[in-house]
Amino acid sequence: MGARTPEDLVPVTVVAGYLGAGKTTLINELLADDHGRRLAVLVNDFGAVNIDVALIADHDGQTISLKNGCVCCSIADELGDALDRVLALEPAPDQIVIEASGVADPANVAVYGQGWPGCRLDGVVVLADAETVQARSRDQFVGELVVRQLRRADIVMATKCDLITEAGLAAVVDWLAETAPGAPILTRRAGQLEPELLLETAQPVDRPSRQPPHAGNGAAGAAFDSAVVEVDGTLDRDRVEAALRDWPESVLRVKGVLRFDGPAGGLHVVHGIGRRWSIEPAPDGFDSSHTGKLVVIGLPGTLHNHDLTASLNLQAQ
Amino acid sequence: MADITVFVARTVRTMEPSLPVAEAIAVRDGRIVEVGTLDTMRPWLESHSHEIDDTFRDHCIMPGFVDPHLHPSMAAILLPMHFTTAVGWDLPWEDIGPVQDTEQFLARMASLDTALAPGEPLFAFGHHPIWHGPIDRSALNQISATRPIVAWHRGYHSITVNDACLRWMDLDTAAAGRHPQVDLDAGKFFETGLSVALRHLRGYLLETERFRAGLDRMRQVIHHGGHTTIGDAALGFYGFEQEWDHLQAVMENPDTPFRVQLMPFAMGPEGDERTDDEFLERVLAYPSRNTHRLRFSDHVKMFADGGFFAELLMLKPPGHLDGRHGEWMTPPERFEAVARVLWNARRRIHVHCSGDLGVELALSTLEKLQWERPRFDHRFTFEHFGISSSQQVDRMAAVGAVASVNAYYVYELAEAFAARAVGYERASQISRLGSLERAGVRFAVHSDFPMAPAKPLNNAWVAANRLTESGAVMAATERASLDAAIKAITTNAAHVLGLDEEIGSLRWGKRADFTVLEADPYEAGVEALRDIPIWGTVFEGRKFPIRDS
Repeated sequence: MGARTPEDLVPVTVVAGYLGAGKTTLINELLADDHGRRLAVLVNDFGAVNIDVALIADHDGQTISLKNGCVCCSIADELGDALDRVLALEPAPDQIVIEASGVADPANVAVYGQGWPGCRLDGVVVLADAETVQARSRDQFVGELVVRQLRRADIVMATKCDLITEAGLAAVVDWLAETAPGAPILTRRAGQLEPELLLETAQPVDRPSRQPPHAGNGAAGAAFDSAVVEVDGTLDRDRVEAALRDWPESVLRVKGVLRFDGPAGGLHVVHGIGRRWSIEPAPDGFDSSHTGKLVVIGLPGTLHNHDLTASLNLQAQ
Repeated sequence: MADITVFVARTVRTMEPSLPVAEAIAVRDGRIVEVGTLDTMRPWLESHSHEIDDTFRDHCIMPGFVDPHLHPSMAAILLPMHFTTAVGWDLPWEDIGPVQDTEQFLARMASLDTALAPGEPLFAFGHHPIWHGPIDRSALNQISATRPIVAWHRGYHSITVNDACLRWMDLDTAAAGRHPQVDLDAGKFFETGLSVALRHLRGYLLETERFRAGLDRMRQVIHHGGHTTIGDAALGFYGFEQEWDHLQAVMENPDTPFRVQLMPFAMGPEGDERTDDEFLERVLAYPSRNTHRLRFSDHVKMFADGGFFAELLMLKPPGHLDGRHGEWMTPPERFEAVARVLWNARRRIHVHCSGDLGVELALSTLEKLQWERPRFDHRFTFEHFGISSSQQVDRMAAVGAVASVNAYYVYELAEAFAARAVGYERASQISRLGSLERAGVRFAVHSDFPMAPAKPLNNAWVAANRLTESGAVMAATERASLDAAIKAITTNAAHVLGLDEEIGSLRWGKRADFTVLEADPYEAGVEALRDIPIWGTVFEGRKFPIRDS
């Protein structure tokens, strides 16, 4: 496989969370959804490598597991093998989703996204079964692990939220916010899907509004808000990073192109999911017509375009 | 040729309570006909042609040693490499002295470079910065600018390579350099970054000829340790069918002086309840493949928490010194579900468990299964048994568990674990054996080779002395008695593998498997156990001296 430029690197999303959190259900719905992205799904440990069958007619029953502990286990690196196989597909997938095993530390899986040749990490979404997560967090065998998984999340998604009362859900959301400080907390009910949040789509997909992802916001309405933040001129990278860090937790996704000054300046692509973002130099010949625009997705009623724009423009020279 | 061969010895230690000491063993067709004295076995000798073999007249005959838990396939990867470890290794083809500082390390690497054929890659196993200092790409370039060199860390988690190796791997350096666990300037690949290098090296390491040469070395190691039976405690790390083919090709031949009991492992896809029936069907079908020396039975391996050497053990409070955490190798709920399927199918379950929380998962599962569907003599085996409590031992006794313990942890790791991992109290009681013996829980000791040397007498020595490498005693209260330590490499090791009717002691009807020693361990005493020279073995009636092999 040839070298990939940063913009060619295939984004990897890690979907993690303890057994029964609804990872497989979510991913199956993602595969079935008409979001226009060609997905490869790797299931770490217990299932099959599912390549989106609607788009790629290649489907095998290979299983993958992440092993460590000794030379011998590193040699049997099935996750790396599986990544190589999907990266070799023609055409390459737009995005790879890794369903982590229920007992995996998401950070150990995420490092494949960060460093496996041909990949970059999009983000880590950790699912939590709203009914059971608090009890699990006290279990003698897995309590510490369940909490650790949540702390690794860029976005936390509480699942099965239609199975508990509103009051119960509010309490769970509070507990999750306390347990995973800094990560936005989404809520999910049966059949509810926001591919725009899970995948790096170029724009928010135009579709009818659904249930609000955040139960705390009550009334039905848009699933989330989106905004386009426009800035002019050449920016100071450090200051932009500082501004991004200050953006509210309700910002779920950011994507866009900015121009920086200084010796390592020039055109850069910004990707963000929850509390993680990356800034990579744009490759030669990159279409610069959208420079200065960031598409932002956030929880409903929380994006104040003016404030976001101002926070960046303050930095513009 | 005579019907019966009678081996006479200075002492025969039968490990049979009814006749513990004898002078002669009569053997026919690979099995023992009778144990006793030339006088007591006269009825046999008078009615059949026989010959007396007095090769062992000055020796002690023991039941052939059994190590119920080691890993031939892992050894096949490691043994073709060149050792540069700080602790010396006495291997059958080479007695490698300790390599204890930077100067010795570089000298050893240079001499290996000189000895190898031009262009042959040099894989050196055993670099450790505590002894050898940091080694980087430029240091390895000084050894050779043309030969690919891989210096493998003693803890297995990282490698350092030279420029020639980077070229040999044909690595896309720009892509590899992005990895947070690859340091190209230093030539170092660690943790997950190791996989980035290994995908280029794996083909070489697993290539059939090399792998089989490694297995052949494993064969020598097993013979030299004095074993006549071993347990392969998890077949299928690199590919079940491939490993099975290699094992057949190398081990199943008339010159292999031991048998291998194979344990398939239940993890990964097998742990998924959606495939339970299929999984069970496969496990039940394995014994139909059995050959004379390679055998599956009703024993199956499972995994609770992560490895002890890798420090991925799961602990009850107060946990690790530095607050870090281990790993589950199987999700606890799935562990229970799979164990239930195996238990109800009358399988004998062996569980890899390193820390006291791993032990707790195995133990609480066993307690539940005993409540649901009681079984006797189920041989549910706690493997490794690094950290545990005496209360857990009592509960193991109550539900009929047995143990296969890695006693060697005490020797190599107890002091390091006291200082860096779990503090002194727990570290000193690693691999507790005295409690098991007092509670009446049968136990074997194993090497987990290549994690520790495959030397049963050495393991028995650690079990009975609990001395560390530096000479400190760790929890003398947890020592095994001399008798229990010897049982742990003979009768009880056979018991753990479910082979107690066939091997493990010397009496009529059992396989004629002996380990022949230059001294009687019961006379030599616990301090001297590891120093008793081994003449060789007898496997199914045929002599296999070590010196001539």
